[in-house]
Formats: sequence, C-alpha cells, structure tokens
Amino acid sequence: MKELPVRTEGAFAKRTNPLAHVFDEFVRFCRSHSLFMLHYCTGCGAIELPPAMTSRFDMERLGIQPMVTPRQADILLVTGYVSVKTLKRIILTYEQMPAPKYVIGICSCTVNGGMYWQSYATAKVLADYLPVDLYIAGCMPRPEAVVSGMRKLMGLIKTGKAESWKDYYRRYDHYLGNQQALFGERWQTPTDVLGEAQQYGLHGPETEGEHTALLQQVQQPLIPHRMRLK
Amino acid sequence: MNQGSRELQVWLDDLLAEIEQVEMRRKRERRMRLDVDADALPTLLELLKGKASYVHLSAITCVDWIAEGEFELIYHVWSYETQSLISAHTRIPREPGRYLSVYDLYKPAAFFERDIYEMFGVYFEGSPFMEKFILTEWDGPPPMRKDFDSEAYINQFFNWQEYRPDWLKELEAQGGGIAIPPDEQRYSRRED
Ligand code: SF4
Repeated sequence: MKELPVRTEGAFAKRTNPLAHVFDEFVRFCRSHSLFMLHYCTGCGAIELPPAMTSRFDMERLGIQPMVTPRQADILLVTGYVSVKTLKRIILTYEQMPAPKYVIGICSCTVNGGMYWQSYATAKVLADYLPVDLYIAGCMPRPEAVVSGMRKLMGLIKTGKAESWKDYYRRYDHYLGNQQALFGERWQTPTDVLGEAQQYGLHGPETEGEHTALLQQVQQPLIPHRMRLK
Repeated sequence: MNQGSRELQVWLDDLLAEIEQVEMRRKRERRMRLDVDADALPTLLELLKGKASYVHLSAITCVDWIAEGEFELIYHVWSYETQSLISAHTRIPREPGRYLSVYDLYKPAAFFERDIYEMFGVYFEGSPFMEKFILTEWDGPPPMRKDFDSEAYINQFFNWQEYRPDWLKELEAQGGGIAIPPDEQRYSRRED
C-alpha cells in the first residue's frame, strides 16, 4: 500500500473535508461542559470555593462538579500557598489523574509565593513543578473571579488550547529536575510517567535527560502493602 | 471572682513578693508577669501548680534575643480557680541552648518542647520525645533562629517568574502600579 503514488500537490491538497474536525470539536465541547474538579485544597484561597460551588454562585450550572478522587477528576485546583510537604502530595495527586487534565493555580501564592515569598517552607512558582493551565491571581480571588477563570478554562478547552498536560510528558525531565532540587535526589513517585508518555505518544526529545536518568538509578521497585486484619 | 479565689490570689501575691529570685509585675487584674532565674523556674512552676491552682500550661514561647546571646522562654500557665494567666519568663544562654523539661509537671509540655527544639534548637533534657515534629523533611538549621537567613535560603532553592500582566502595564503607563519595588520593601535590606 505504501508504494502507491499519492498525488499531494496542487489544488487537490488544499481541498479539505469541512467535516474533518467536527468530531474533535464535538468532543472538546462535551469535555468542556463536564468538568470534575478535584476537591483538594491547599491554602487559604480554598475558602472561596464553597460559595463558588454552592447555590450563591453555583458552578454546577457551568457543568463543574467537585470530585473526591483524583482518578476521576479533570481539574486540579491548587488553591493557595503550597508548602514543600504539600507539593509532594500535589504531584502524587496530579500524576494519578487521567489525561486530559488541567491545573489551575488560584491565588497569588501559586504565581510567585505571594505574601509568603520569604518563607522557607512554601514553594514559590507552581509552574516549575507542574504545568499550569491558568492562574487566577488575587489574594484571595473572589468567587466571581473563580467562576470567570473557570469559564476561561472552558474556552481554552473548547478551542483546544488547554494542552499543558502534554507538556508534562514532553518536558518531564525539566519538571522532574525541579522536583529533585527541592525534594532531594531520592524523590520518586509511584506513577510511571515515562511509560505513560510512550503510551500517549508524547515521548519527545526533552522527556528524558539527566534527571530521569538519576531517577532510574535510584528508583526502588514498589512493594505492595500486605492487607492485614488485626 | 469568688471569695476563695480572691484569697488565693492575695496569698499568692504576698508569697511571690517574698521570694527574692522572682520579679513580679501584675499587669492587669488577671494577668501577671513573673521574671525568674532559669534554675528557679521549675520550682516556681511546681509552686504555682501544686499550691496555687495553675494547672493548665497553655503554651511555651521561645524568643531569640540574638544581640544578647540569649533565648527567652515564657511559660504561660492558667488557673481555672482564679481565672487568671501567669507568664513566667526566664532567660537561658543561647549557647549551648539546653534547658530542663517540665514534662513531669505538665504533660502538654512535651509538645511545646518538641516544637521549640525543632524551630529554635533548644534542647530540653528529660523531655520524652524530641524527634522531628512538623518539619519532618527539613535538614537545615532551626528556621526560627534569628541567624537563619530565610531570604538567602529561598534564593538558593526557589526560582521567581516574571509576572507582569497587561493590566499592570496599563496601570504603570498611567503612573500607577507597584509604588515601592519589592527590593526596597525587604526588612533585611533596610538601612535604618
Ligand atoms: S494569595 Fe493570599 S489568600 Fe491566597 S493562599 Fe496566598 S495568602 Fe492566602
């Protein structure tokens, strides 16, 4: 089949099927209107979420609902300052979420440390450790801002621009390097990110590098916990 | 305050005025500050707890007086009888920074002492458990000491990103925006 001569030049190549992307668009439309938001709150900004989710501002009318487990969630909201210990949990959570997944950094603290910029205990730039789709700045942003940020994210999803999760696979070495700089060289997560990158076909030139090499050196195999009844 | 507890308070005031090592200042009716030498503090707490009904240790505070080379330890004890709070202040030398635990008197002291050991590096002898408490993954110096340079630490471990959104640029074009640049806001860089 490959040998068959295919004419690709001339007017023939320009003719595209007007319906070619309809299905993609439809999928994106549906996706943007059914978002499950992982209810994982890190800092003080989380206090604005209950009013945003409940009857006053009612995010459910946009199709956004809270979800209790990362394995069924689409959006990871990082609602404020992230201490170094919390950041570990955030990364574990993020890696468990199925793609496509979106990260929103609420609050100024996720942009540049906010008013905790001088603290030894909080991570400063969230985007160093995770790809962030959208920031909602403010200390803290009001529910209106949260809702408008969500609408913006829906717009990005509809137009296919919210692709940051692919960046995590494409530039995993970069993110892993920053994580290792903070957590030490023995840092590892139970998720096989490199394998997933292959799986999604996103394994690029920057996926692997010196940091992933280090990871593979120190990686300990996971041992399942024995279930025991006392 | 009922009659009995008023009597107790008067008795305690008289007693403390007698003891030479204790400097007493009653700030308000239900608030008293005692300054005491480090070697007399456990005895004083024992007196307060055993004879004067101050059974509740609310907190132990530590202050780093780096210029004087001392740590100040403040024991806040509360009495349910007289409904009043006593703060017993004492000072210990910054080096070697060791002191006695009051765990045998007040059980909650174990928490406070563990916390102070982690944040200031003051070791309490006789405290039951001095392992890591909150900063489980921290291996730097005790971060609340005044000689720990938080800013140098963050500059070593964290990056900054440029955050100048369009609306900020618009404001700046109109002469507004950030009035004092962050560099000049920092206390550690201030001249005066
Ligand atoms: S930006 Fe303000 S409200 Fe938000 S986490 Fe930071 S300090 Fe809290």
